[in-house]
Amino acid sequence: MNNKFDALKDDDSGDHDQDQGSPKDSEKEKIEDEDKDQNSTRKKMVVPGAGEHPLQYNYTFWYSRRTPGRPASTQSYEQNIKQIGSFASVEQFWRFYSHMIRPGDLTGHSDFHLFKEGIKPMWEDDANKMGGKWIIRLRKGLASRCWENLILAMLGEQFMVGEEICGAVVSVRFQEDIISIWNKTASDQATTARIRDTLRRVLNLPPNTIMEYKTHTDSIKYVQCVTFRRSFLAEIDYANQK
Amino acid sequence: MICSLLFYALYPLSRYLTAGRRSEDSQKGLSPAVVHGTAAWDGCAVTTKRFTQSQTTQPDQWLSSSSTAKGKTEEGMKEGSPDKEGDTGMEQNKEQPVAVPHKEPKNGETKMSEEPQSEATKTSEEPQSEATKTSEEPQSEARTTDEEPQSEAKETSEEPQSEAKETSEEPQSEAVKTSKEPQNEAMMTSEVPQGKMEVSMQQNINTKEATDVPSEDINPEQALAAHIKWLQTDASIKETDCPGLEEIQIHTPTHSVEELVISAEERIEQTACSGEQQTQIPSMESETPAVSEVTECWDEYYINPAADEEYDGANSSKLVFCEHSQTHLTISKPCNTQNSLHFPAGLGLAGEIECPLWQFPAGSYYPPLESPESFEVMWRVWQSLPAAEPALIPFPFTKTSLNFTVMSYNVLAQDLLEANEELYIHCPLEVLDWSYRCSLLLEEIFKWAPDILCLQEVQENHYHEQLYPVLCQMGYTCVYKRRTGPKTDGCATCYRSSCFSEVSVSLLEFFRPDTELLNRHNVGIVLLLRPVVTQGSEIKAMGPPLCVGNTHLLFNPRRGDVKLAQLAMMLAEIDSTVKSCKAKGEHCNIVLCGDFNSVPNMPLYQLITTGTLYYRGLPAWMVSGQEDLSFKTHFHRLSVPLWHSCLGITDNCQYSASKNTFENKDQTSGKLHYSHDFMRQLRYCPAACVRPVDLKLIQGVTDNAPDPSLENPSYDTCSRHTLTHCLDLESVYQHVLPGSGAPEVTTVHSEVGATVDYIFYSPRRSSTSAQTACGNFVSEGLELIGSLCLLSEDVLWSMNGLPNHMFPSDHLSLVAKFQLDLNSPAIGKTVGEVGGIDVRG
Repeated sequence: MNNKFDALKDDDSGDHDQDQGSPKDSEKEKIEDEDKDQNSTRKKMVVPGAGEHPLQYNYTFWYSRRTPGRPASTQSYEQNIKQIGSFASVEQFWRFYSHMIRPGDLTGHSDFHLFKEGIKPMWEDDANKMGGKWIIRLRKGLASRCWENLILAMLGEQFMVGEEICGAVVSVRFQEDIISIWNKTASDQATTARIRDTLRRVLNLPPNTIMEYKTHTDSIKYVQCVTFRRSFLAEIDYANQK
Repeated sequence: MICSLLFYALYPLSRYLTAGRRSEDSQKGLSPAVVHGTAAWDGCAVTTKRFTQSQTTQPDQWLSSSSTAKGKTEEGMKEGSPDKEGDTGMEQNKEQPVAVPHKEPKNGETKMSEEPQSEATKTSEEPQSEATKTSEEPQSEARTTDEEPQSEAKETSEEPQSEAKETSEEPQSEAVKTSKEPQNEAMMTSEVPQGKMEVSMQQNINTKEATDVPSEDINPEQALAAHIKWLQTDASIKETDCPGLEEIQIHTPTHSVEELVISAEERIEQTACSGEQQTQIPSMESETPAVSEVTECWDEYYINPAADEEYDGANSSKLVFCEHSQTHLTISKPCNTQNSLHFPAGLGLAGEIECPLWQFPAGSYYPPLESPESFEVMWRVWQSLPAAEPALIPFPFTKTSLNFTVMSYNVLAQDLLEANEELYIHCPLEVLDWSYRCSLLLEEIFKWAPDILCLQEVQENHYHEQLYPVLCQMGYTCVYKRRTGPKTDGCATCYRSSCFSEVSVSLLEFFRPDTELLNRHNVGIVLLLRPVVTQGSEIKAMGPPLCVGNTHLLFNPRRGDVKLAQLAMMLAEIDSTVKSCKAKGEHCNIVLCGDFNSVPNMPLYQLITTGTLYYRGLPAWMVSGQEDLSFKTHFHRLSVPLWHSCLGITDNCQYSASKNTFENKDQTSGKLHYSHDFMRQLRYCPAACVRPVDLKLIQGVTDNAPDPSLENPSYDTCSRHTLTHCLDLESVYQHVLPGSGAPEVTTVHSEVGATVDYIFYSPRRSSTSAQTACGNFVSEGLELIGSLCLLSEDVLWSMNGLPNHMFPSDHLSLVAKFQLDLNSPAIGKTVGEVGGIDVRG
């Protein structure tokens, strides 16, 4: 199952691919360009409004949806992910959050990412490459509440692990939803243990909940392996269909 | 023991009488008990009660009390000695200093000079109530025996003595009696105002009077000695644990023991006169002003059946104390629960006791000596409550306490007066003149000499030009906050620099341009004071911090929602002040006063006093209860939530996490921490409900619209419809005049007469005693030990409404006296060395 999740970043488990066509690709390119522009400007612009409650860090919301029918690769993942917006205060956070569909109501094969401004929600990002993540698998129906609790804890600096936190992700999948929180240093066991304990507390998890820690390097290796196999299979598939 | 037995027997009886006197239909026939009051006048007065009662009820009350029968027999044995109770009182008074590790200076005169205004007169009235108070004490001690075996032992050891004394005194009891009688009289009258019932008490002038006068002449020293004892007893108010008792006393400027007798006489004369006029109250305009004042004054008294009473002529004993209708006596005392079988503390007894009309001798007793000015003082009666809990303090520990008075006064800004002239058309022009009102106002402040003065509607220029200089001269440090907006008035809080040092000042503006609910220009002041007792330049003792809130909430009767929001801001500031003390390990006492523009027992008041208010759907006008607007077909109902969470104040009337957050920042590596709850409060604040301009619309992802009403009912339902606060606040005033049962009013003008001003305080709860680091036991909270009686609307209209030649504002001043325990450095002092320290000393 682990493997499955890790692969999910850009895999296609064949759930909902049929409805997506190639037009998406050009659209995606445009978005990516715009995102780049927005990135450069937003980093300077986002400040807490007057009288608002500033956050310790600025954060950026991202959204990704698997684009079916396209070979999964690191690049396509990066292109597939859309920046929703950045914020610097509690109030600004709610502005975005309130206008976003809650994870539990998302359709398809989607992810919300909330990362510190400047950190891309990718294993390859400098901040992430030595890092890892705690993963919690949730049965359907729990994702919205757990996601909210998770990101509020992160924004409110409740993990108390200094600069270690990078971001959080909620992944909506076919039969289950997965939330994860990423930190910088996978080898720092004190930090990861503290994150785990805080997670249990803020998500109010039952004691028997299974929590897995996965380093990003493992994920990368696995996905590369899987990706290779998948893309190979996909190509064969494609060839067969033809 | 005799004393206690006597108490057992007498206490319920007096309760019965007290309760019965509230009787509204007291003149209906079917009463099992009939009280005849008789009064003898001898320069003092004796009030005699004949208590006719079906005997069966008496034993019933005491079924569960082992000492009952004994008490009865004692009583029976002593029947016919009308002074018995008084004597007991005397003896008890003697015991008092022993029973209580808290002793007054021996010299009563010193004590009196400390409190020239109120205490002196109080003492002259006190003995009777003290007697009962003390007689109650053994009982309370019995229940807390383990805590104070020593004092009890002493008490018992003194009993034989007292008894001996009693008998020895009886033959010459007249002397004692005379000195006591005026008090009886005072007490008796003072009991009247208690309930709603019409009191018709027959007070016959006894022939005793004749004998009493000479006897006093014969034995003046004894009387004086008695006075001194009472003084001592009076001063040690905190000793006994009988919350229900209280005395109302007339406020006369008596300064020494020597004057006591005289003043007592004068008072009685006045009382007598007023008694005569009691039936004329409504039409008292025909009387001279002074006389009518006295008449009203009489109304404020408690009537105490002092001299003797007989049960079918068999038992005789005196009823000595009176109690307040709103007391919490019934809470814990077994005897009270017993009483409640026969003497419900409430008004239910109304019909059971017949109280014939007072009959006073001819008006020749009217005291012409008093000048009209002094009657101004007489008008409103100081009412003091005995405070006590000696048993809680283990014997070796000492306790120092400090008394201070607080005045809250809406002084009516001249600009507002002139802007609303239609409210004052009933007033002669001269009383509306500011310079005249100002002089009366300063006189009033000077007269009551509060240690903390909270003024509302203080016009800015008047404050700076007239009030501030004078108040400074009087030794006050003043904090002024003008209202925002065009209105020129504001609030001023002044405290006596000799008694308090300032810890912090918060000036609150309730105007928030971004919040629709808070678009009104009202303000508040929250002071954190530290009570200090200085001797010379040296600080002798410091008290726990005292948070003083002063505010004037929005008037608009229709905007209860605004009032609630303003109140919440006030409470939040107080809460944060209290918390800041708590962070340093100190309990902070609270006094919150001002003009709340809300009447008692309506939602806003409820929120303050009970700490909870379910407000959803409440009509906005109902919050304050100033006017009944229910006839309107469309009125605004309170919606949920009442205010946006971005106001930064929770439904618990506390600042939301923001403040704590920034506090946390220091403690934890300089990070901004927010709790889930705090962040969720901001969820639907206006700023968060606007769609970000740069948010792309992605179908099914970012096309959500925030809907405050639908979202997250699960975690908001319980808290969202209820306002709460966790400050323990109680009102000084009970809002009903003792005796007549008429509602008290704090403001009267041509449109309305109501209670809208309050002094709230954090009361002392018996469980909150704590041993301080230095080994003293200090109880948290304030003990209310006195207040200045308010008047009824009728009475005020009889004076031509407000303002008038006596009261310079359309509000009355509220004055309350509190006692708090000091963190005394007096370690090692023996019991008795540490006494009550009066601030003004």
